[in-house]
Amino acid sequence: MMKRNMTKWMQDKITASVKEAMPILSFPGIQLIGHTVEELVQDGHLQAMCMDAAAKHFQTAEAFGLMDLSVEAEAFGSPVKYSENEVPTVTAALVHDMREAEMLKVPEVGAKRTGQYIRAIKEASDLITDRPVLAGMIGPYSLAGRLLDMTEIMILCYEEPELVEKVLTKATEFLISYARAFKAAGADGIVIAEPAAGLLSPAMIGEFSTPYVRKIRDAVREDSFIVLYHNCGNVIPLLDNIREIEADGYSFGNAVDMEEVLRNMPKDSLIIGNIDPAGVLRNGTPELVREEVTALLQRCHGYPNFVISSGCDIPPGTPMQNMQALMEAAEEFYRKIEC
Amino acid sequence: MSLIQEISDKLQGGKAKEVKILVQQALDEERDPKEILNEGLLNGMMAVGARFKNNEIFVPEVLVAARAMNAGLTILEPKLTEIGNEPVGKAVIGTVQGDLHDIGKNLVIMMLKGAGFEVCDLGVDVEPDTFIDKAEEFEADIICMSALLTTTMPKMKDCIERLQERDLRDKYIVMIGGAPVNESFAKQIEADYYTPDAASAAEVARKIMEEKKAHV
Repeated sequence: MMKRNMTKWMQDKITASVKEAMPILSFPGIQLIGHTVEELVQDGHLQAMCMDAAAKHFQTAEAFGLMDLSVEAEAFGSPVKYSENEVPTVTAALVHDMREAEMLKVPEVGAKRTGQYIRAIKEASDLITDRPVLAGMIGPYSLAGRLLDMTEIMILCYEEPELVEKVLTKATEFLISYARAFKAAGADGIVIAEPAAGLLSPAMIGEFSTPYVRKIRDAVREDSFIVLYHNCGNVIPLLDNIREIEADGYSFGNAVDMEEVLRNMPKDSLIIGNIDPAGVLRNGTPELVREEVTALLQRCHGYPNFVISSGCDIPPGTPMQNMQALMEAAEEFYRKIEC
Repeated sequence: MSLIQEISDKLQGGKAKEVKILVQQALDEERDPKEILNEGLLNGMMAVGARFKNNEIFVPEVLVAARAMNAGLTILEPKLTEIGNEPVGKAVIGTVQGDLHDIGKNLVIMMLKGAGFEVCDLGVDVEPDTFIDKAEEFEADIICMSALLTTTMPKMKDCIERLQERDLRDKYIVMIGGAPVNESFAKQIEADYYTPDAASAAEVARKIMEEKKAHV
């Protein structure tokens, strides 16, 4: 099958007067297929079923793969805790000093559950053909944080930057291979999730995150394969630096004012966000969801490159009626302004 | 620059080794340990908290400053114990059961210590009754709970209910925080305070203790 021209797809999205929502919607699909998160994260076929069920249920602009930020660290050897209804978590650092960093082996793509995630995208790409399929992947700094410990890495950036750089280099090497594997499996692009970098200063993100994300982008990006960057932290002080990634699109969270972001980001890249996934989508009512979606669109629809989305990965237990409310509120908004 | 001011400045710069040396020097010069603590270390940490709140510095800078504070405290604590220095208050803190995220919790610990609190870190995946048992053992004033997952937030309510069942609800102030947590949730579960960030948590905790002491 001929690959979709994603550069054109993006441009069409920006020029379209009516824009379909792009929620980061994958895990809640378990409610449609009757499985647990624990089953899902270990089975690529179930993941594809989940993505397909979500795509059939909601007319989103794209289909997102699972945003599971434990997969890559586990491939390196990190211990992971599984929960029936929650995304897995890395439980301990793998690398504690330079000796261990030097001995750290870069895994093959396919190690541990990475093979299942590739399988998921391959099957989903065959099942979902009416919209792009985007694979999810952790960012290099966020991965290094899981390998070194999320708190410790920030201190190490000051005290032992060479250690952090050694781990970042290996993390990036793996992530480039992983992204290439997603491309070969049929994905139309990747979303690089780098939330941990949202805690850094502008100088530090410029040293320990952006250059590595850029390496991944440069290694895989082409017209048929786009790169989106996700960071749900307080990124306002970091935007100058984040722009240097030259991603095709950026996904931001509810920690920021979306209008301020739109004023400061390139007009030719998609900017998506930022309905609160926990407070509004998971724990709110359909009425609250409608209010928030409508309010955000009222403020931001004047920016052609803005597409409404969730501020982060939508939690597994999010009620379907809230997702329905998001989609309907967006459709209704655009219908009204078209008239 | 005075020696005490230099301790504060070096702490703010995250210079742990230098803070240790300067605190020892101050003790050797027979400076008042409480002055070293309050005007040197805690003052420095409060300045860090204010700059963090104003987005002038970021989480890593707070962490290295806190590490410098802890380095100074390791030298100072024996002397403080000797003279019977009392902390501003005592808090137990943990991430709730089923949740392993700890950055937010760790930041709150640093800011509470920087505000003069004695803090017992319960770690992650802490059961509701453990918060209470440890608060009793530690003779805490405040129980602080953190959650990063929507599915673990209900454990905060469980802890408050256990406090009620054990007839201890009025004995402790309960503070909650974490990314999916908000004011509305705090009201719903009848927590005493919700704070959106570590610096606010320390400010609120300090005010709580001032009010408590004013009513004694």
